Parts: sequence; structure tokens; C-alpha cells
Amino acid sequence: MTHMHIPDGILPVWLWLSGFLLMAALLAASLVRLRGVDRMKKIPLLGAMAAAMLVSMSLEILPLAYHLNLSVATGILLGPALGFVAAFIVNLMLALMGHGGITVIGLNTLLLGAEAVMGHFFFYLLPKRMPVFWRAASATVAALLLASLLLIGVVAVSSVNAEAFSHEHGHERGNALDHGTEAPETVKTFAVIVLTLGSLGWIIEGTITGAVIRFISQVKPDLLSHVLHVKPGPEAGGGNGR
Amino acid sequence: MIDVSRVDYWAANGASPLHRASAWSKLLFVAFIVASAVLARQPLPLAAGIALLLALAAANRLPLTAVGMLSLYAAVFAGLYAASLRGGIAVTAVVLLKAVMPAFAVGMLIVTTPYPRIFAFLSSFLPEILAAGLFMTYRTFFILLDMMHHFGTAIRLRGGFSPGSIIKNAGNISKGIGALLVRAVERSTRLYAVMSARGYSGSMAEPTMGGVNPFDVPPIAAGLFVLMLVALWR
Repeated sequence: MTHMHIPDGILPVWLWLSGFLLMAALLAASLVRLRGVDRMKKIPLLGAMAAAMLVSMSLEILPLAYHLNLSVATGILLGPALGFVAAFIVNLMLALMGHGGITVIGLNTLLLGAEAVMGHFFFYLLPKRMPVFWRAASATVAALLLASLLLIGVVAVSSVNAEAFSHEHGHERGNALDHGTEAPETVKTFAVIVLTLGSLGWIIEGTITGAVIRFISQVKPDLLSHVLHVKPGPEAGGGNGR
Repeated sequence: MIDVSRVDYWAANGASPLHRASAWSKLLFVAFIVASAVLARQPLPLAAGIALLLALAAANRLPLTAVGMLSLYAAVFAGLYAASLRGGIAVTAVVLLKAVMPAFAVGMLIVTTPYPRIFAFLSSFLPEILAAGLFMTYRTFFILLDMMHHFGTAIRLRGGFSPGSIIKNAGNISKGIGALLVRAVERSTRLYAVMSARGYSGSMAEPTMGGVNPFDVPPIAAGLFVLMLVALWR
């Protein structure tokens, strides 16, 4: 949902650089939180969920041509720290597949990671007596709504000055993409499009995430019971760190 | 999304000078090209840079159509963005060329360098969990793609897809994704256990910076040349 298909060289340098720095800080915090976890269980789950996100991005729901990303499902199953790591891996892989720019890895990780982290917290904050489907679906819609607002914020601060490209020769030209002149009308239009068309996407993603989480809770409930989110005891035999 | 298995085949089976260059030199080449796109303000040096990349790709007999399609994918989104700027032909040209050049360079990287070699290089400075996560994602991605293909065939044969019926499609896809997730977790857990039993030590390939060889010169020189061209032609 909130993955920016922006190629390299488009966004202002300060913006994507800030994205990288913030991503690095959050990634470091996530890795600190993950110290000592049971790698025997966590890494395969991380690989499986990140791969599922990549595969789901290639799936289209006909006839809307909407593609899923399973970020909230990843957050629910992996937890916030590992969910953020999965978002980074997915965006790095996407850039290495030529699907999105390298400079936007930071911002895209923040957006996708925000969905995973917020989705996880919403899911576990909602009353346990709610059916799993509705908890997961509501958490997904809320997380995607907030992530979409973040996306609109990113677009708003990345406003560019097209005129900087068209100055006469010999004049001091600024990089058009470094000049953050406001374009409130464009941002408003973008916000309207994202929030109206996006809401349809949130419902689809919410429905599918809800159904997927309900299915997992029925056939492999240990994935949801936080058994995988505890540190291994001496008898667990995991976390070999090898 | 691109056909990753085909890209993998080209990367693993090519024997061009660019295939023989080290992963680090090609990643440096991509970094130079991305920096050029970021710095560029004029269309002509960007066009000259793309021409140089095309010549390099043709000289190495790379699959130009595939690499070109990859950069055109970036051009589609850049085109939409350029249209929203309403800045005329010059602005549109700069935005399009800025998008196409790095995408073409990334295309050249991935059709000449198997992903495990890229990950092995990245493992040199990435924390263990990230490096292992990258490899597990890469391995599980192909397993999942294969399973998804079988699932797609099965659901079509059984009438599970009805164009126009969103609710039915969404329900069937959800069950399929749920089943695939459970199986992917089981398979990757088994894979990880086997690797650990065989002496897995935090990375699925030897973390290496790679050596230096004469084949590293052309990509580095090309990237540096484009960067200097863009920096000087402002």
C-alpha cells in the first residue's frame, strides 16, 4: 500500500538521507531488542514472512489491479522489531530487483515498517474477546490509514520546484529536486487520491490479512501465541548464534 | 515484478568481462551512477551517461531488452511524476533520464552478479541477523513462488477465480496465502535446522569483500566517468 515507486534522483537529497538515517537508527534499535532471541525460530520465520511479502506484491486482486503487501500480517506474526527488519529486507530486495530506487530504501522501509509495527500494536491492543479476523482486519485498516498519512507527509515535504530546471543558461541553477517550495494544491490532490482510492485498498488488505491471520490461528496457532517471541531458555536449545 | 529466476540464470551463466568483475566493483559502479543521477541538472550529460551504459552493456552482450524494460519500469513512474510537475520538455527529460540511468545500472548489476555474491559482500558489514535474513528471504522467495504457481494453477482448475467477484477471489486468495505461509515457515525452519546441523555460522555464503582483478576496471571507470561528466557539465 505505502510503498513509493519513486526512482533514484527524484527526491531531495536531505529527505532520502534523513530517511536512511532514521531507518538506520530504528534498525539498530530493533537489532538491540532482538539480541539473544532464538535464531533457530526467528530467522526462518523472518525469511518466510519477508519472502511472502515479496511474493504477495506480485499478486493482483482482479479486477482492481490492487497488490497486497502483507506488512501488517508480518508485524502481527513477527513482532515489531523483527517486523521492521523484514520491512528493510523487503525494500533492499525490491531495490536489487530494480523495483524502486536505491535512494528511497530508507523512506520505504520507514513506511512499510510503520505498517508492521503499528499493525502489531493495534492487533495486540484490541480486546482479546474480538474475533481474530476482526482484530487483524481492524488493525490493518488503522495501520494503513496512519501509514498513508505518513506517505502524504513525505510527499508534502518533498515538494519540488519545476522552474529551477528551466532557468536560462549561465544563471545559477538550483537542483529542482533540492528546492522545497510548497505545492499545497498538488499535495491536497494527492492526499485526496490516496485517502479515497487508498481506503478501498485498506479494506482489501484488511480483509485478506484478517482471513490469513484467522487461518493461521486455526491451523498453526503457535505462530500467534507469542511462543516465538520469547527468549530461549537453557532447555530450548535454540539461539545457538552460529 | 521482474522474472527473478531468469535474472538469476543470466547472472550465474554469463561469462562476459562484466560477469567476471567483483561484486564490490559493480556495486561501486551503481553507487557512482546513483550519485550522478542525484547531482544531474541537465539532460545532455544524463543522455551521454545512458549511451555509455548502453555501449558497456552491448559490449558485454547483456540482455538489453530485459535491462531496458527494467529501466522503462522506472521511467513509467518518473513520467507520472514529471507530468505532475508541469515543467515542460526540459524538466520531463531530466526527470525521466534521472530515473532511467540508475535503473539501467541496477539492471546491469543484477544480470551479471548472482544475488548470493551481492549478499556475501553485504554480509561483510551487515549484522548477522540481517545477512542471514537476506539469504533466507532469497531462498524462501523461490520456494514460495513455486508453491504460489502450483496454487494458482490448482485454484483456476477448480474454478476458484471469478473475474468480477472480488469477495470470492479475496477469500480464496486469503486461504491460499495462509496455507503458503504455514508451509513456507515449516520449510524454512527445516532448511535452517539442516544448515545449522551442517555448521551454519551466521551467513549462507562466505562474507567476503572479493578480490581485485583487471575486470573491475571497466565498471569503476564507467561509473566514475559518468559522475565526473555530470559534475562538470552543470
